[in-house]
Amino acid sequence: MRTLRLPAALAAVALIATACSDEGGDSGSSGYPRNETLYTTGTAWDPPTNWNPIMRGQYAVGTFGLAYEPLFHYDAEANDYVHWLAESDEWPDESTHVITLRDGMTWTDGEAIDAEDVVTTIELGQMDVSYSNIWDYVEGVEATGDLEVTVTFSDPRPQEWMNWAFGTPIVPEHIWADKSQEELTDDPNAEPVGSGPYVYEAHADDRMVWKRNDDWWGAEAHGLEMQPTYIVDVVNASNEVTMNMLSNGEVDLSNNFLPGIEQSIDAGQLTSFYDGPPYMQSANTAWLVVNHDHPALGDAEFRKALAHAIDLDQIISGPYSDLVDGANPTGLLPQWDAYIDHELVEEEGHTYNPDESVALLEDAGYMDDDGDGYVETPDGEPISLTLEVPGGWSDWEEAARVIAENAQEVGIDIQTNFPDFGLLVDNRNAGEFDIVINNERQLSNTPWSYYDYLFQLPVRDSQTTVNFGRYENEEAWELVEELATVPADDVEGAAEVTSRIQEIQLAELPAIPLWYNGLWSQQSNDVWTNWPSESGYSGYATMWDGWFQLGAIRTLAEIELAE
Amino acid sequence: MSNLAGAPGSDGTTDPEPIGERKKSEALYFAKRNPKLLIGAGVVLLFFLIGMIGPLFVDHGPNVYIGPQMQPPSAEYWLGTTTFGQDIWAQFVYGVRSTFLIGFLGGGIAFLIGTAIGFVAGYKGGVVDEILNMLTNVVLVLPALVVLIVAVAYLDVRGLFVQALFIGLTSWPWAARAVRSQALSLATRDYVDLARLSGRRTGKIILTEVAPNMSSYLVMSFILLFGGAVLIAAGLDFIGLGPSDGVSLGLMLQNAFQWSALHLGMWWWFIPPGFGITAIVSSMYILNVGLDEIFNPKLREL
Amino acid sequence: MWRYMGRKLGIYAITFVIAVTINWMIPRFMPGDPVRSMLNRASVSDPEALERMTNYYNEVFGLETPLHQQYFSFWSGLFRGELGISSMQYPEPVLDIILRAVPYTLGLLLPAIILSWILGNHFGAFAARSKGLDNSLLPFSYILTATPYMWLALLMAWAVGVVGGFLPTSGGYSLALMPAFSWEFILSALTHWVLPFLSLFIVALGGWAIGMRNMIIYELEADYSNYLQALGAPRRLIRRYAFRNAMLPQITGLAVQLGTVIAGALLTEIVFNYPGLGSLILRALNNNDYFVLQGTFLFVIIGVLIANFIIDIIYVLVDPRTRVQMTGGAS
Repeated sequence: MRTLRLPAALAAVALIATACSDEGGDSGSSGYPRNETLYTTGTAWDPPTNWNPIMRGQYAVGTFGLAYEPLFHYDAEANDYVHWLAESDEWPDESTHVITLRDGMTWTDGEAIDAEDVVTTIELGQMDVSYSNIWDYVEGVEATGDLEVTVTFSDPRPQEWMNWAFGTPIVPEHIWADKSQEELTDDPNAEPVGSGPYVYEAHADDRMVWKRNDDWWGAEAHGLEMQPTYIVDVVNASNEVTMNMLSNGEVDLSNNFLPGIEQSIDAGQLTSFYDGPPYMQSANTAWLVVNHDHPALGDAEFRKALAHAIDLDQIISGPYSDLVDGANPTGLLPQWDAYIDHELVEEEGHTYNPDESVALLEDAGYMDDDGDGYVETPDGEPISLTLEVPGGWSDWEEAARVIAENAQEVGIDIQTNFPDFGLLVDNRNAGEFDIVINNERQLSNTPWSYYDYLFQLPVRDSQTTVNFGRYENEEAWELVEELATVPADDVEGAAEVTSRIQEIQLAELPAIPLWYNGLWSQQSNDVWTNWPSESGYSGYATMWDGWFQLGAIRTLAEIELAE
Repeated sequence: MSNLAGAPGSDGTTDPEPIGERKKSEALYFAKRNPKLLIGAGVVLLFFLIGMIGPLFVDHGPNVYIGPQMQPPSAEYWLGTTTFGQDIWAQFVYGVRSTFLIGFLGGGIAFLIGTAIGFVAGYKGGVVDEILNMLTNVVLVLPALVVLIVAVAYLDVRGLFVQALFIGLTSWPWAARAVRSQALSLATRDYVDLARLSGRRTGKIILTEVAPNMSSYLVMSFILLFGGAVLIAAGLDFIGLGPSDGVSLGLMLQNAFQWSALHLGMWWWFIPPGFGITAIVSSMYILNVGLDEIFNPKLREL
Repeated sequence: MWRYMGRKLGIYAITFVIAVTINWMIPRFMPGDPVRSMLNRASVSDPEALERMTNYYNEVFGLETPLHQQYFSFWSGLFRGELGISSMQYPEPVLDIILRAVPYTLGLLLPAIILSWILGNHFGAFAARSKGLDNSLLPFSYILTATPYMWLALLMAWAVGVVGGFLPTSGGYSLALMPAFSWEFILSALTHWVLPFLSLFIVALGGWAIGMRNMIIYELEADYSNYLQALGAPRRLIRRYAFRNAMLPQITGLAVQLGTVIAGALLTEIVFNYPGLGSLILRALNNNDYFVLQGTFLFVIIGVLIANFIIDIIYVLVDPRTRVQMTGGAS
């Protein structure tokens, strides 16, 4: 066996080479003590490479929330804003907003946080960044004191403005003020200087490590003591891998959809917010978005018939195994219950009813005259529709198959197709599709964001984030614009406007709400316990971008070490 | 991908031998007594029948939700059901069918290209040989699966036939190389010279004089290409580059993996498809060894 | 000999040029716009800002210039070692991303290939010893080569990882550690390496065993063997000669099999979420990042070419006959 020695040596060399050639190494090899570390996964799909809070959607998990913070948080349960960096705010008149910051806050490099930082952040919007559109209605911003910022509006839209103020991280002036456009968009910001409860510790291709900021201002101001010293967020690999890590207690919290997870929850190995179906809180609405340029799909009666044909229970109990809830006919999330006109929904809302669907089709003149089993338009043109969802999104693929079958049962010819995600996005934005499923809008501080998504006008060549179906209804859009001007804390006033919007929505059904995608969150209680739950305290156990300011940050202070 | 190192004859150490009538009956005699051939052919045939006839006895589509979810194998659902309540037996029989399809198509295309290039290069020689040989070497060096990933990834709609075509286009070179070396030695035989003198066209000479004398060899090449095509297709399916909306054993594996069958303990979901592929391909290979032993008398006794 | 090597190098050079060209060509004529998909994830809402940012990134990625110019700048970039910028991990250079993944893939591939080759050869030679051994070991080896890599990997992950719980089934090292030159880290990396290595090694083993077994049987039937046998030479000696001669085609086989083993490594990595090129390819595919996809493709090709060249050199060194044979041009 003389010959075996060489390869063995080679193998050893290769391994050592593997070990040495990796970057990092200064973070200490002793590892992160298990009982001081929270392991999370299910949020990141790519290696962390970017901590630039200005470039939304690309930064590492926790960049906004753990490191950078907004002016306001929003408590969805109480439907109320929470002052965060801001200590107080007032509207002296409807086109002026005066925000006062808390005293004594510092950035993680020791500099004080003051009004200039807020001014800088808002002014960055004049460059090409993701929130440049605020300058469509903001007139000016000025530091009117050390800690006081005054924003004036050319076109006051309090709901839209507060949506920005709660959803945008404030960045330090002394670092960001003088950046060029290129630095702004391309800088990975490898050493993030933020204001939040955690600071950058280390990263590798498959994880992001945050370390607690023991000088965080919020410990005193909000009485929040972050429990984990370290947070290691693991990049998502596959369901299989995640399940394994969860059940071995290698990971404490997973925020991705895991098929079959209800078994582990029922068996008591893992926990979720609810102990029984739907297990998860609702996070966003999956809509069936139809292309209004299509002759049949452009007809409200046809859309209604389609809505009545879809057997949501089959999707919910099939691919989702009861992990989601069916959506209200308005599509508004349960957290927005105050904005739903329940009487109207009772009268006009659609439910699964194939007979009704067939009747609707017949009344509107959609008949199967050529006997192929599928209806034609009143003009006799055959209707053949394609329902597209991104390839590889298996839960949606399965749901799409159910929808297609349901539609075929009432005589609407829908076939499924699972193209590449990027291709689907291109076609969707360009209006070259029949039907897609989409859930891009999340829970936020105002249902305005949902209606903006459904009705925004004008329709452009490329619809990138809203109104993919190209639905044009001036009256509805005027109502949405009116909703944007309702003062941020006037729930009743807003509900009055949303009721009028819902009248149009339910009559026209521009997009068909399907189910509420869950705030996927499954927790192991091996190391950390006291997660938010139905029987415990309410809150969100998630690392998803945009949820820290909805209260998820509190969860990090509430969890406790298991005995 | 299908090149098994030291596949018979690919090293050029054996000379192809013309098979006369006498030899055919002799071959039959040995074939009946060769367990490798018999077992290999038996298993291949069994799976072939499952793939061809099985779907006729399944009265619902392979992807239809027919009933209870996550059921282990039972009398009603022979191989159990998936997370969504799809019948795995139904998926399996359809999957076996498409496995044979991809093998025949992908392996067939590769076989056609490979033998055509091999024959022409070996028979013509000279500059034609030089160019074709270079082409062969170039494609041979490129790792097939990696090329396929890059190519297939950009396809808009992926179907079984396109997949077969791409596999065929990338996996022919070793067959070409092996056929070339065989043709090279046959091209100098007397009877080929005779045919050439009589003024027949090249294509005809290859088809009537050269090819029949290495028919056994060609059959074996096809079998190896078939196995290779099946394995590559399974790999592509597993990465998620399989037919967009179909059934195959590779896709079943991918689905099982994606929906955490391992962790949920649903062994009936991920064992059958892999077993199917392994059984089909390995019995093909073993059948091939049997054939080799029959056509190549030296190998009969050890 | 020099002519032989020159010829080989020529072929490799042509292969390289063709691979680069294919590589450059494919994404540019295919649907799906990486800039669009990147901006989409950045959820830029304002259409005007979107347009400006699209233009900006198109310029960064060089998608706006004429095609031939793109082609030449692709080549010149290549020689400067630039493979572009990743769109999924913007703004990280593709090269950095790939270089981080390469050690893991090599760490799997090299030991798996070399060990399976050596063991497989011995195994095959052993099988060729008697009819009984041959009839049991040969079908077994064929079953191994016919096993899809990912299936064996899945079975191992299930049996050893999930059911048994002996070894970790995902990642390159423990989540509690960062790469460092410490025993703790090396130990962790080793335990994570075992399962993917084994899946790769076992499948590859079968192929080598079959190759060697076939070669030995051919060699034993060769004239010199019969001659030696007639002279009354001991069987051991004849077998040793046969083994030596059979090694040469096995070395060539190494080059031919490379593609298959690489494919196997990519698939195995995906199953075990091992942080090498396979997982990288999958991620690039899912994110429409064709810069990374192309870069990885090129890297694999370059790796294959280098490996082929090394094998050629070994072949020439081991077998003096090649000089004569190859310069003569006969096959």
